[in-house]
Amino acid sequence: MENNLVSTSILSLIIFLPIVFAIVLALWPQKNTIRELALGFSLIQLGASLFLLKDFDSSTAALQFVEKFNWIERFGISYFVGVDGISIMLIMLTTVLMPIMILGAWNSIDQRVKDFHVALFVLQSAMLGSFLAMDAVLFYTFWELSLVPMYFIIGIWGGSRRIYATVKFFIYTMSGSVLMLLAIIFMMRLTPEVTGGAMSASLLDFYKLKIPFVGGEFFTPQTLLFFAFALAFAIKVPLFPLHTWLPDAHVEAPTPGSVVLAGVMLKMGTYCYLRWVIPLFPEAASHYSWLFISLGVIGIIYGALVAMVQPDVKKLVAYSSVSHMGYIILGLFVLNVYGMNGALYQMLNHGVSTGGLFLLIGMIYERTHSREISKYGGLASAMPIFTIIFIIVTMSSIAVPLTNGFVGEFLILMGTFQYSPGVAAVAVTGVVLGAAYMLWMVKKVFFGPAGEIVKAAAHDPAHALHDLTTRELVVMAPILILILWMGLFPNSIMDYSKVSVDHLLKNQQNYSLEVE
Amino acid sequence: MNSPVGLADLLLISPVIVLFLFSLVPLVTKVTNGNQEQNPKTTLITAIMGLGISAGLLILFGGSDQTIFNNQLLFDGLTKWMGLIAIIAGAAGIVMMSENPSTHFEQFSETVFLAMNSICGMLILISAVNLITVFIGLELMSLSLYLMIAMSQEQKLSKEAAIKYFVLGSIASAIFLYGVSFIFGSVNTINVTDLMQIASTAIKTDKLFLFGITFVVIGFCFKVSIAPFHAWTPDVYQGAPTPITSFMATAVKVASFAAFLRIAATQVFQGSQNLIDVIQWLAVLTMIVGNVAALLQNNLKRTLAYSSIAHSGYILAGVLTVGLSANSAYSAATVIFYLLTYSVMTLGAFAVLSMIEKSENDFISTDSLAGFAKRQPGLAFCFTIFMISMAGIPPALGFFGKFYLFGAAVNEGLIWLALWGVINSVVGVYYYLRPVVNMYMKEGDANISNEKQYASTVLVIAAAMFLIVVGIFSGPLFSMIERSLS
Repeated sequence: MENNLVSTSILSLIIFLPIVFAIVLALWPQKNTIRELALGFSLIQLGASLFLLKDFDSSTAALQFVEKFNWIERFGISYFVGVDGISIMLIMLTTVLMPIMILGAWNSIDQRVKDFHVALFVLQSAMLGSFLAMDAVLFYTFWELSLVPMYFIIGIWGGSRRIYATVKFFIYTMSGSVLMLLAIIFMMRLTPEVTGGAMSASLLDFYKLKIPFVGGEFFTPQTLLFFAFALAFAIKVPLFPLHTWLPDAHVEAPTPGSVVLAGVMLKMGTYCYLRWVIPLFPEAASHYSWLFISLGVIGIIYGALVAMVQPDVKKLVAYSSVSHMGYIILGLFVLNVYGMNGALYQMLNHGVSTGGLFLLIGMIYERTHSREISKYGGLASAMPIFTIIFIIVTMSSIAVPLTNGFVGEFLILMGTFQYSPGVAAVAVTGVVLGAAYMLWMVKKVFFGPAGEIVKAAAHDPAHALHDLTTRELVVMAPILILILWMGLFPNSIMDYSKVSVDHLLKNQQNYSLEVE
Repeated sequence: MNSPVGLADLLLISPVIVLFLFSLVPLVTKVTNGNQEQNPKTTLITAIMGLGISAGLLILFGGSDQTIFNNQLLFDGLTKWMGLIAIIAGAAGIVMMSENPSTHFEQFSETVFLAMNSICGMLILISAVNLITVFIGLELMSLSLYLMIAMSQEQKLSKEAAIKYFVLGSIASAIFLYGVSFIFGSVNTINVTDLMQIASTAIKTDKLFLFGITFVVIGFCFKVSIAPFHAWTPDVYQGAPTPITSFMATAVKVASFAAFLRIAATQVFQGSQNLIDVIQWLAVLTMIVGNVAALLQNNLKRTLAYSSIAHSGYILAGVLTVGLSANSAYSAATVIFYLLTYSVMTLGAFAVLSMIEKSENDFISTDSLAGFAKRQPGLAFCFTIFMISMAGIPPALGFFGKFYLFGAAVNEGLIWLALWGVINSVVGVYYYLRPVVNMYMKEGDANISNEKQYASTVLVIAAAMFLIVVGIFSGPLFSMIERSLS
């Protein structure tokens, strides 16, 4: 790795470039070029992350591109960022989705365009920061900061019940994270025993802590800390029964808001299980894995069953998210190599396929201003290209072989089978249910007798349905490519994370990360 | 006893003297001009100059750990920092007064005179180590304040507020004095530095002393509006003109907490578990009462009044931490830091309210902010920063204030207290976000003033920038405060 300034501070560049972009956008005088400018910025950001990917060494589990400066010296809090095989996946997911999102929002956001893009870039910065932060307080700062722009995105550009949804989203997430803050403070107090005197908030020092654990007793430090962290992340994921904010937020959010929420924000929760909960509290994580596995399985079935009866297509996809996130939690907590690799892969898959579904729903909503399944029907004849793309993304979502979804779900189920065939048998019903509600929806919307909307389009030229425009095709092209690429060549992607995941599993009881 | 007043004494007390002399300037000018009120801007500049010089002198001589006037006033790091915060908060209040419709008319000179004398009282209160001097500072501060509240000409509510505050404040002072008499009766001293040696043992052996300390604590609880002694706060805060409310909520509270902190630093609480329990539950009760009542308000000024009660609860937790702490420099620094944070965000929020009030009889409801962000994006953005900071969301300073404060509490084993604190701050999020919801997410044509107020604008921008910049780089400031205390 050459030792120039760009490559030694690439992570800071990736985190803070969006903030710079946000400031430039906020001060940009011309109103009609905001979208082009934002798209350009997001492509620069994508370029920076590709540069990181090029120099990334996937043969080691060590932390790379590390930057560490004192931030609040008094308490050993530092600006400490680093990337390993786990976080690089999510960095790429975030930066790849960003230009797609901006292009997807081209027409759907028509008010306060500048403010919207400023919020989007601040959000991107906060999300990237929380994936890369290796210091507890720095992480908490980014974690909480990410709520603020999302709060505005749902609240300003959302649907009719947007205020209810956004306040609920904010309060739910916040109430989980304050307990985590207390846990962080508590753990910082314990660090002097491993650093030899000074307090530290570095995650690497946290890993070295041996926090007392007594199996079967709830009121032991490790169990309490474990639950304080796990609760914060479970709300974000969201794990059943803490999921109720998600459908509201998804339905009310504007299309790009839904995409970023499903695509990246939910992954902050699952990623943090991998980065924080499982390695920090190894005994508690193994001891209570049954709880998370059960909740994950309940989430899979429950999400699927509720999705089945939704009249609103966006709500249907929102509940399918609950179901899919259940798989990821299941994969993480079976604590074996298939499950965990599958869970990490599924995080990316869900980002791509559910993000894609929300984009497609946004496109049709722009044309018809309706999301009610019963009003559609026979759309395939009016919009054939749209139909084909929608079906491909649906296939990915229900894990048909050759698509990315299959690889992730298959690995997770294999891991679950290794853990317990009984649990796997229950979880598999989720696959069937998932196929059922998605295909049922596809059938009702695209095939069958022409519905109200298609009829109106045929009779009234004002309501005519035109097929996808070039811009929309450009939006969907990368998603389709990713779906097929990740389905056909999963190793080309998993190779980046394999060593890190193996390292985590091998050393789960005694985890540590080296710094390169 | 040597000569009563030396040069050193005068140097140390100079911030108070300068403040008093400058407070006379507007008044004398008015009298010599045939009782003609001069331009409020001139008065404002005089006052700010006086406060600036006073702050400079305080920085120069304040933190030298010397006592003057025969052990009456102590100038240590606590005096320096708390004094500075009180002066800054007071100055901010005066800036708002110079432009608020209810305060900047005929009697502005008198108001400024009273405000500056109130700040004199605060400086005495902050530096006093003799409980009688504490009382003198308390009274100088409060008496000026009663008059300031009542000065407003039109508003009936402000008269009611003044009377209410006067009556209840006097009772609180009486209770405080009653407690002091018991302390003197039982241990023969009312000097805080002497109490430091004996307090934690005397409180175990001497019932009268315990009685006295309890009354002193209750007196302070009145002043800083700890539940259940808080009932006056919402009415008085609502009735007073907004700049004066800001003055009360920030400067007065800072000064009262400074004196409270001195009592706590004698480690008197360590001798009595009962007292610790009571204070702990008072803190929790205050947080709950403040936050829950704030949820139910529509008048923004009242919301902020209850929010200030809730913050008193957090700060009381910090004061208790200082009382229990062996490393009290660290714990006291967290309290000072929190008071600074609290003051800046509170005065910022009140400054925005003061700018958008049309007249003194009209009140700003949360709903009336609808659509505010479209009309005044800059002001709305600053107000959002104040609200986010109060809710304790990083990277605003409010988060780091809470982080340090609860960190110190956890350090002393007060984990349950910290837990109550963080749970309450989630409740707070709801009502802090409500104005933001209205400003950004609703349309409306509010009945609020759009008049340009330059000095207040500068104040609001400065406060917002302080919250973000110092928020991101809070470490050095905290270390500076801590170093000056040890």
